[in-house]
Amino acid sequence: MPTIKTFLLPDLGEGLTEADLLSWSVAIGDVIELNQIIAEVETAKASVELPSPYAGTVVALHADEGDTIDVGNPFIDIETPEDELAPKPASGPATGSTETAERTPVLVGYGAADERTSRRRGARTAAGPAAEPTAAPSPGRPLAPPPVRFAARNAGVDLAAVPATGSRGQVTRDDLDRYLSTPAPEEPATEPVGTRVAADEERTPIKGVRKHTAAAMVRSAFTAPHVTEFIDVDITPTLELIEKLRANKNFADVRLTPLALVAKALLVAVRTNPSLNSFWDEDAQEIVTKRYVNLGIAAATPRGLMVPNIKNAQTLGLRDLAQALSELTITAKEGKTGPADLADGTITITNVGVFGVDSGTPILNPGEAAILCFGSIRSRPWEYQGEIALRSITTLSLSFDHRLVDGEQGSKFLATLASVLSDPLNLIALS
Amino acid sequence: MTATTVPLRKALNEGLRRALEDDPKVVLMGEDIGKLGGVFRITDGLQKDFGPARVIDTPLAESGIIGTAVGLAMRGYRPVCEIQFDGFIYPGFDQIVSQVAKLHYRTSGNVKMPITIRVPFGGGIGAIEHHSESPEGYFAATAGLRVVTCGNVGDAYTMIQQAIASDDPVLFFEPKRRYSEKGQLDPDAEAFPLYKARVLTQGTDATLLAYGPLVTTALRAAEIAAQEGRSLEVIDLRSISPLDLDTIAESVRRTGRLVITHEAPVFLGIGAEIAARITERCFFHLEAPVERVGGFSLPYPPAKLEEHFLPDADRILDAVDRTFAA
Amino acid sequence: MFDTDDLVQLVTESGERRTHPDFSPYVDDIDLPALRRLYEDLVVVRRIDAEATALQRQGELGLWTPLLGQEAAQVGSARALDADDFVFASYREHGVAYCRGVDPTHMLRLWRGSTHSGWNPFEYKMTTPAIIVGSQALHATGYGMGMQFDGVTGAVITYFGDGATSQGDISEAFGFAASFVAPVVFFCQNNQWAISEPVSLQSPVSIAARGRGFGVPSVRVDGNDVLAVMAVTRAALERAREGGGPTLIEAVTYRMGPHTTSDDPTRYRPASLDEEWKAKDPLARIRVLLAAEDAVDEDYLAQIKAQADTTAAVLRRGCLETVEPVPMSLFDNVYAEPHPLVDEERQRFAAYLDTLEGSH
Repeated sequence: MPTIKTFLLPDLGEGLTEADLLSWSVAIGDVIELNQIIAEVETAKASVELPSPYAGTVVALHADEGDTIDVGNPFIDIETPEDELAPKPASGPATGSTETAERTPVLVGYGAADERTSRRRGARTAAGPAAEPTAAPSPGRPLAPPPVRFAARNAGVDLAAVPATGSRGQVTRDDLDRYLSTPAPEEPATEPVGTRVAADEERTPIKGVRKHTAAAMVRSAFTAPHVTEFIDVDITPTLELIEKLRANKNFADVRLTPLALVAKALLVAVRTNPSLNSFWDEDAQEIVTKRYVNLGIAAATPRGLMVPNIKNAQTLGLRDLAQALSELTITAKEGKTGPADLADGTITITNVGVFGVDSGTPILNPGEAAILCFGSIRSRPWEYQGEIALRSITTLSLSFDHRLVDGEQGSKFLATLASVLSDPLNLIALS
Repeated sequence: MTATTVPLRKALNEGLRRALEDDPKVVLMGEDIGKLGGVFRITDGLQKDFGPARVIDTPLAESGIIGTAVGLAMRGYRPVCEIQFDGFIYPGFDQIVSQVAKLHYRTSGNVKMPITIRVPFGGGIGAIEHHSESPEGYFAATAGLRVVTCGNVGDAYTMIQQAIASDDPVLFFEPKRRYSEKGQLDPDAEAFPLYKARVLTQGTDATLLAYGPLVTTALRAAEIAAQEGRSLEVIDLRSISPLDLDTIAESVRRTGRLVITHEAPVFLGIGAEIAARITERCFFHLEAPVERVGGFSLPYPPAKLEEHFLPDADRILDAVDRTFAA
Repeated sequence: MFDTDDLVQLVTESGERRTHPDFSPYVDDIDLPALRRLYEDLVVVRRIDAEATALQRQGELGLWTPLLGQEAAQVGSARALDADDFVFASYREHGVAYCRGVDPTHMLRLWRGSTHSGWNPFEYKMTTPAIIVGSQALHATGYGMGMQFDGVTGAVITYFGDGATSQGDISEAFGFAASFVAPVVFFCQNNQWAISEPVSLQSPVSIAARGRGFGVPSVRVDGNDVLAVMAVTRAALERAREGGGPTLIEAVTYRMGPHTTSDDPTRYRPASLDEEWKAKDPLARIRVLLAAEDAVDEDYLAQIKAQADTTAAVLRRGCLETVEPVPMSLFDNVYAEPHPLVDEERQRFAAYLDTLEGSH
């Protein structure tokens, strides 16, 4: 199938952007061979004979003798009988680029190319992974970009005291500003500016811990898809165990509460269901499954709701766990919980039972995958060994982040937890 | 074999001996390395035991040494070239960067360059001109090459063997002023990976990173700092290219402060690349800018002035102080 | 026989045979059929060069370094080699490559800018074109030393031009090869020009004298005489194989074409000089000789033309069908062993490419 091939004037490598046509060696209608000389062109001070890249019939000449032709422009059309060994049509410089970019040739090849046209898909955040995946912030050292550090230092603020909301755990400029606009808790509340004290309304400025907590709640509630599951547990054997342990000399100076056993059961359940102790790292597009459990306990403090956590709770025996819980509670009640205790939690228990409430649909602590709500323990008629008996029953409510935890995992976790509480021998079985 | 206390030159000698024993294709080549055993005696006794075909005295021509090593490598040998002094590497520079560095890439992996180039480097020996240079930067900046340096006896023994065993070209910089320094040589000790940095002493207040001759100086600085109540974590970089940024970053995330020291000038020195990358990775962890302590931007000075040119413990600690300044 | 500058010649410019007491014996075995095959090589090599030049003019190659006029120097020496000898070339030895069996399909990819190296050197025992002038002479010397260590009876040949002999690396190679008695044949194609600089600028004495200065026995040969070139090369290789050490051959020839397709020789040399050397054409004299000895007929001419045409066609197809490298191949083979920085940059670049329109 004959096709018409156009030979574009190539870059002959002599500092050429154009050439003058001195003479044609062929005419329209001539049948020519591959490499047959078709023209003589003049470049800067030298004439070059051009060999034909195609065999066939000359059908068009795109310049007259004496014309100046630009590199990349059509030079001659040749009708070729077959496609065999012909160079790709419209082949320009040997760079293979499809644009006919002007390139300034040098002695040993083609010089620098012009700027290519943009292929960006539009403005977006920087492509590709960050220099390295986000590392866990070292506990105890506050992170902040240099300008924020500088500002904190100038303001006499200890960065460790500033709640951090940066994606890598750093104190952001906003965090510092927010902190600086909050009066210290010990200061007497000042009259809010512009307060409208209507007879039937009370207005409280949104600031301090409440503001921070609210922001965290909103973030959590509207980022993580929450699912809550419930299970009622016959916790009687655990209570019996606690009675026995209280008499045990190892627990003599420790306040052992059902919460401690719930915490222990949770730690056991986490071991086989690690997805409930993980973190959805949106920035790095990674799920971080943590091998350490920093167990947070929601606590009502004079400053408001806080969630201090026990670091590496998975390493603590029951005694030490109970001790840690005790101290945590006391510290929180005294309003002395430090920022380090508040940071880096991985999973939380909220104890609503102390208020006499049975169950709830708790909201996840931001950055965590699960929160367990421990309800009140009531004496209820229950099935026991085939008969109805009064047993101590409590409801466990588990909310989890459905991005990180699927239904089966959440259920297994809750079931395992419940099984430990309903038969503490499972502590040994599952350890 | 039990551990012994030997000077660094002996550790290198033993390492070269082991390499010659382990692989019959290893050949040493350089000026005066055979009969004389090298001007620093690093190759002492090796020609006697392995013969002149494996420990070769070459004509006085650095380009010739490297160029013939290229040919030997193509023939299947594993050449270990000695450049007598750092300042004499430049006649061989073209063969190193145009050929040794590029041949693997140029030939799409068909030709390997398992060449090791040993270079005594650094100052502090009261020498005349051109004998105290730190040219590692030129080679670290050349893709296709690897650059390592030992800071103690144990590393000298293992790293030279690892470098020789590598199928890639390795510039092996030896801290000549430490050649007589003694340390533990345990042939049975497990070798640390060649391209990893190593934390030598743990600390909490700042990270001090050094390589080659300044490792000893950095440890000394840390001792003084401890007396002054500051805890420095000292890291021996060991591998200049590739850089082990993970080890450095892990440390800086804990301490928040980094001081880098090398004899080569600060301007465009290795410290500059590390500072840029650590700033990228540890931006939110840094309490202060990364400090660099190195030579000044001038040719290496006469011997009587070199103590002012070379970083010492005081200059390093001065930089540490700066990281704590308001 | 390697101690005078007298030009060794076995076939004159006008195609008459001559004898040389030392070197004639080395080509006693070249009977008429063998000479016809050598002539075919000359024709094919010239055709390869012309085809590649045309491809450059057609925009398919960025650059080509023509060997026009140097066919005999390359064919005569290359055909003297054994299969196990190793060739360290410069950037103009396309004729040597052809004789070593390099597939013409791959010959042009380097000049097209698709790769830095057109073939695996170990497959043909010949290096790919080298750009740094003179560096290959040291590589050849080292390789030869390696052959000595291996105890094999072999030789290395390295090609370079007259300009290269000014480079320090050539002097160092002479020195090392002489000192270690390495089995190296240093083959200098003195084509009279280093781009625009005549050989008289490089050296006031002959190239051969320079070799002798380093203790390397050296000979000057008519580079346009394929038989003489073959003879001296065989003699030099024999010396090398027998442990006699290095030899320098100065093949006096002429670069009929430009230094490269970007060069313009009319700026620095007179056409009269070109004409003078045209009369010494390496192909013409053999054609005349073969005709005089009744060794040319139509069948033979048709056969060698067909061989030239076929080879040119393979060259052209190989060039046009070059599989161009993809962007990600940038990061291949920087090192033999895994390298974290290369891996990191490769990953980042791949991620970056994903953000752009279009295929890659």
